[in-house]
Amino acid sequence: MSAPILRVENVAKRFVTATGTVEALAETSIEVREGEFVAVIGPSGCGKSTLFNIIGGLDSADGGRVLVEGKPIAGSHRDIGMVFQEESTFPWRTVVENVAFPLEVAGMGRRAREEKAMRFVRLVGLDGFERRYPAELSGGMRQRTALARTLCAEPRILLMDEPFAALDEQTRMLLGEKLIEICQALKQTTLLITHNLSEAVQLSDRVLVMSFRPGRIKRTVAIDLPRPRTSDVIASERFASYLGTIWEDLKAEAAKGLAALETARRAPAGR
Amino acid sequence: MAAPGVSARRDAALIRVLTLAVLVALWEALGQTRLVFGEALPPASAVAAAVAREIASLSFYRHLAVTLGEVAGGFLLGALPGVAFGLAMGARRVLGAAADPYVAALATTPKIVFLPIVMLAVGIGPGSKVALGAISAFFPVAIAAASGMRAIPPVFVRVGRAFNLRGGQMVRMIYLPALALPIVTGLRLGLGVCIVGVLLGELKLASVGLGFLARDYYDQYDFASLYAVVAIVFALASLANGAMSRLARRAEAHR
Repeated sequence: MSAPILRVENVAKRFVTATGTVEALAETSIEVREGEFVAVIGPSGCGKSTLFNIIGGLDSADGGRVLVEGKPIAGSHRDIGMVFQEESTFPWRTVVENVAFPLEVAGMGRRAREEKAMRFVRLVGLDGFERRYPAELSGGMRQRTALARTLCAEPRILLMDEPFAALDEQTRMLLGEKLIEICQALKQTTLLITHNLSEAVQLSDRVLVMSFRPGRIKRTVAIDLPRPRTSDVIASERFASYLGTIWEDLKAEAAKGLAALETARRAPAGR
Repeated sequence: MAAPGVSARRDAALIRVLTLAVLVALWEALGQTRLVFGEALPPASAVAAAVAREIASLSFYRHLAVTLGEVAGGFLLGALPGVAFGLAMGARRVLGAAADPYVAALATTPKIVFLPIVMLAVGIGPGSKVALGAISAFFPVAIAAASGMRAIPPVFVRVGRAFNLRGGQMVRMIYLPALALPIVTGLRLGLGVCIVGVLLGELKLASVGLGFLARDYYDQYDFASLYAVVAIVFALASLANGAMSRLARRAEAHR
């Protein structure tokens, strides 16, 4: 087995709040091998987004380090391409101009960058819409534009934070299939942060279950299901048993998360 | 969506033209008969003749040039610092919170009250009108720039950071395009109040400029010429506003 391309080593993060210090992440370690699709699943408030920001270099860790091919990285890095949960396409740019954005940043000429961007526009299935503006597209199409924009920079590792969270279930399933197709075509190493169980199992080679506060990897589940993950695979007993296994682990954490949320609500109002 | 939009626009234009025609006809009738206002309401035809007279006279262009110069100077001197101050207010929460009440209070103060102070400071010449125009233009521009800055979705900046944008690239590729619409909207409002400020200053105390010209005709009881100047100012203000709205539509096209 090849050496991991991405290693997250004992990354920790604390937040200081009015009521004290919250340990968001405790000694979290992750390894992702080349071409692998790994999902990190955890309840709300478990520090998933913190982990995403630290790996992407948008936030600093209080301990530990992130390594790409064995080299520690600091700050945002061109080997790691980020896709955000929020609506992030630029409304003043057309689809192809959005996708070409990282190439423009790198100083590539207009002709060359549009030609290259068009490859990724086609890859996400948006050809015919390249001259449209985001406001003219559906939410799913805009998220595909954002995905193409990140892929266009050809990162070694695709890092996504709940990219389909704002979409409805069916769009999410279809986009998931599309994502898998793309990742296989590009042999794209991918780390997906999600709170959606079936999404994690549908897409991943491995699912890492995070614990609630402090967040750490509680368990790794290898998803040994054939690809492509057709509706037959998704309807299979093994798919369901993976869901059950992971939910068993996740349930306790989600319950803790919910309890923490309710305690916070019950606390006397004071700001 | 195109067909009903087009016909609605056409209907609106038709109603606008018909309204104008009816008003002008009424005006002409009232002016000719002198039923109301007497001498103070010259007929539309007399005003049209006075407009033609103005446009053909050389001295009119001297007044026009002075007013345009004052508006341009006031707009530049007010709008540029307004954009800069507004962006700083939007970007720095503390500065924004500190400045907000003052800016809001001054923004609603009629700027003409500053004219005596301005005249003491820069004299009664065109400089005082430029200053009044600048003070007027500053506030709407600053307020629009500040709220535009506050409204930029944080994720755009995070995308910029994720793609490793340098400071200059962040400004040019994220902030400026994201701010184009609010800033143009502010500039449009700012130009409007700048014209108001300059004209008020000229009406109050000046020896040259369209405001002075209107005042001068008033003093001479030449009401047709007074109306002509008013009509010309109205036309110029409409042109300026039209140009700014075209700019705004371009900035808005894709939202």
